[in-house]
Amino acid sequence: MDLFLSIPFLIFLPMAASFFVMSPLFTGNEIAIRRFTKTVCGFHFLYALFMLMLFDGANPYTSKLSFFGLDWVQSLGISFSFRIDGIGMILVLLTSFIFFMAAISSKINIRKNAKFYYSMLLLLMSAILGIFTANDIFVFFLFWELELIPAYFLIGGDFTSETVPEAKKSAVKFVLFTFGGSMFMLLGILLMYYYSYMSTGILSASFGDIFINSAPKIIQAIISALLLIGFGVKLPIIPLHGWLPDAHTNAPTPVSMVLAGILLKTGAYGIYRFNYEILKDIFLVIAPILAVFAIVNIIYTAFVAYAQTDIKRIVAYSSISNMGLILLGLCTLTKLGLSASVFHMVAHGLVTAGLFMICGVVYLRYKTRDINALGGIAVTMPRLFGFGTLIVLASIGIPAFAPFISEILTIVSAMFSDMGILLKICSVCALPLLIVSSCYMLKFLHKSFMGKLELSDKINDISMHEFVVLGSITAGLIIFGVFPAVILNLIG
Amino acid sequence: MINDFFNILLPQGCLAVFILIQLLLGMFVSPRAYKYSRLISAIGISASIVLLSTVQIEPQYFGLRNAVMSDSYTLLFDFIILLCGFFVVLLTKNLITQRRQNAYTFNALLLTAIFGAINTVSANDFLTLFISIELLSFPTYFLIASNKGYYSKEASFKYLITSAVSTGVFLFGVSYLYGLTSSINLTEIYEFVAQHEPSLLCSFAGIMIILGLISKLSVFPFANWIIDVFKGTETSVLAFLSTIPKLAMFGIICRLLVFPLSNSFELVCTIAVLTVITALWANTYAIKEKNVKCILACSSAANASYALLTACLVSVYNLSAVIFYLICYVIMNLVVFAFLNITEGNGIGNQVEDFKGLFRKNHGTVISYVIGILGLAGFPIMSGFVAKIYLFSAIANSGLIFIPILLVLMLLTVIALYYYLKIILPLFDECDKNFAVKILKAAYSQKFVLFICTAVTMLIGIYPEKLIEICRFIAYNI
Repeated sequence: MDLFLSIPFLIFLPMAASFFVMSPLFTGNEIAIRRFTKTVCGFHFLYALFMLMLFDGANPYTSKLSFFGLDWVQSLGISFSFRIDGIGMILVLLTSFIFFMAAISSKINIRKNAKFYYSMLLLLMSAILGIFTANDIFVFFLFWELELIPAYFLIGGDFTSETVPEAKKSAVKFVLFTFGGSMFMLLGILLMYYYSYMSTGILSASFGDIFINSAPKIIQAIISALLLIGFGVKLPIIPLHGWLPDAHTNAPTPVSMVLAGILLKTGAYGIYRFNYEILKDIFLVIAPILAVFAIVNIIYTAFVAYAQTDIKRIVAYSSISNMGLILLGLCTLTKLGLSASVFHMVAHGLVTAGLFMICGVVYLRYKTRDINALGGIAVTMPRLFGFGTLIVLASIGIPAFAPFISEILTIVSAMFSDMGILLKICSVCALPLLIVSSCYMLKFLHKSFMGKLELSDKINDISMHEFVVLGSITAGLIIFGVFPAVILNLIG
Repeated sequence: MINDFFNILLPQGCLAVFILIQLLLGMFVSPRAYKYSRLISAIGISASIVLLSTVQIEPQYFGLRNAVMSDSYTLLFDFIILLCGFFVVLLTKNLITQRRQNAYTFNALLLTAIFGAINTVSANDFLTLFISIELLSFPTYFLIASNKGYYSKEASFKYLITSAVSTGVFLFGVSYLYGLTSSINLTEIYEFVAQHEPSLLCSFAGIMIILGLISKLSVFPFANWIIDVFKGTETSVLAFLSTIPKLAMFGIICRLLVFPLSNSFELVCTIAVLTVITALWANTYAIKEKNVKCILACSSAANASYALLTACLVSVYNLSAVIFYLICYVIMNLVVFAFLNITEGNGIGNQVEDFKGLFRKNHGTVISYVIGILGLAGFPIMSGFVAKIYLFSAIANSGLIFIPILLVLMLLTVIALYYYLKIILPLFDECDKNFAVKILKAAYSQKFVLFICTAVTMLIGIYPEKLIEICRFIAYNI
């Protein structure tokens, strides 16, 4: 790996920047910190683009950090190795983009403790990039746990102009849920590591060396279930979703964008890396069951979302619903399903970031998120209305936008997969998603943007920063909607 | 005899000399010169650390008619105990200033306890072991009682009673073992056990001995002293209490488990059950606790129980995991107690709310403290993460029957995370404009301990390989 395409640089640049911002060396001036963060994120995005351009699907980027000539924990076979394949590359780019957008939109939302906020944002970025690029199960777990600390402070911290009293509670809830899940996951990882060592005799924890197909089937099933609980909390799969609506609602807008846009995808990515790739034998068996969970996710949360009155909660529940679709794509175990799944990660990442951005913009001006109190925004903020309409239409799967492609691909792949009748039923069941999701999304659009003007104060339309964020997201949605091959080719 | 002294007993001898010096000075020097007592203790411990280099470890050395032994294992434990002792002495500033009348006596007691701890690890027969444990315990009663207020006396008395009972249990086990083997020497007992079929009586004696020893680790049935004792004790003494007796006890328990008492299925079962009970009790008890010291007491008991469970599933891998875990754990504990020592010196109480908003004015110290606590919770970049993975992987490797137990312990760490968060949350609270946040004043010695231990915690977390290598080497050579 030459100097210009260094994965460790890609991952640890935000972390270094985070420590730099946090250190007493850096000024406490809010503007300087913000500009520095934006510069870092912008540079990071360009760098990731540069890596994408030189990316060759046949030769994934790999890299290994050595410490004084040794692996990280040589005696346990843990090495700090990284690998970026097509899917990893897409997700890295998405991460970089969403964080860039979040950093830009932070200007209007973050009023207090800027130093702490931006340093935590950068740390979170590093941790998530680490998850997407790790090539060692323990390093993956390390980043998985590391991400909790900044995410906790970002959700629960006091950064916006008015304090959200429930924010701390929801942050604790988030951390406990995820930590609990990751304990199951750790047990799964340890068993996996142990059985792989038993069967191959290689003391190594890198993804390539893990081999547990010769372990007893029951053990494989247990490992798979343990890992699924861990990833299911993050994804989330339905009974484990309790943390999500609260965390997403009470977090500041940029953090919600990041949480829904990227953080949830780490769960899907984990399922792909562990259950789909390593435990493929057992995944064949449990995929139909998982597909049922996916359908429950899709349908149940769609109805729940319809019943909400808080606009941020609607978006939060719609995220869970869409995550079900991603899970369904993985469960088909076809190349097409996988592509659809990854495509939907990108599409949904963009859509949900845009939607949270809109919620944030509205909340900043009207100081309420209650859908019944809002109305007539289209009159006061025509430009926001324009973007709002585009993004909402994108989210309900109108052609020419990215989610359309992935939704159709998912359902088609589920229909034509050879996983049995259950998956076909599931795919049929998934169709109503499109209807229900249009219901709640259009309700969101209709109730808040149309109707009578409830509040008649002087309201400014979106500022330059907001325009840039929403514009970039919409552009992304249209580009991937029109040229889906950009992503699909990378997945192969 | 003289040879033994020069080969392995120089560090102990050095400490003994300094104890005598402290006692003499306490008699003849004016209490106004109290400040020098800490200096003398620090010099004594440093000298002792330096003298560790004279200890003969290769091959194993048995001295004083097999009563004491030394190898790389005891050397490592001695080193860590002395290092902890050094840090504890640095933290005693507040206490010594309060109690200037007894400054020299206090330091003599502290050194005696450290002396006892070192001897406990290197004891090679039960008589030496017993005396060493008493040497460790007796000064501890007075150290605990040295705090002001009613609670410290209660704490001291509770500790006294628990120690007395557990010592009785220990001696009971020793007497059985003596009856079986007609020896109190560990090497001879090991030979006897190796030659004979494992008997139930032998296991019973082993269980009694271990039960007697684990009272210092606050493992069930001798568990609930820890909360009262932690509540009433001064933080520098707590820094002592949560590190040195634990290290000493783990040092000897691991050796007993590896040597004479290995292969006893009953023993493993008993310890496993006791540790799970302890972990359940400690973690659930801490949920409703509001006092930081009590929460840390629970965390201390829980962490000790995880390590004990790993230690009782004897293997080289497990032993190295336990040693690694202990080292990481004591260092993180020192971070935490150094911070509490600073806050206590600034007149901040021990309730969770008393720490409100400290982050705003004290970035460095609070971040160190948070690193310590998150390390205890097992988050990455801190050494706690590697230690947790290492320890849990050791339990997982011990056999499939332990997987459910491991799952229970892992889920208990989630509860543990809840109470750790409860400790660190108020630090970041935003307070009213009227609420004056204190700027913490700390002596250089306190800051030194805080920052050095934080740095070591991070360093081990980022680069654990060297320490793991050492631990594996030692576990392999025991």
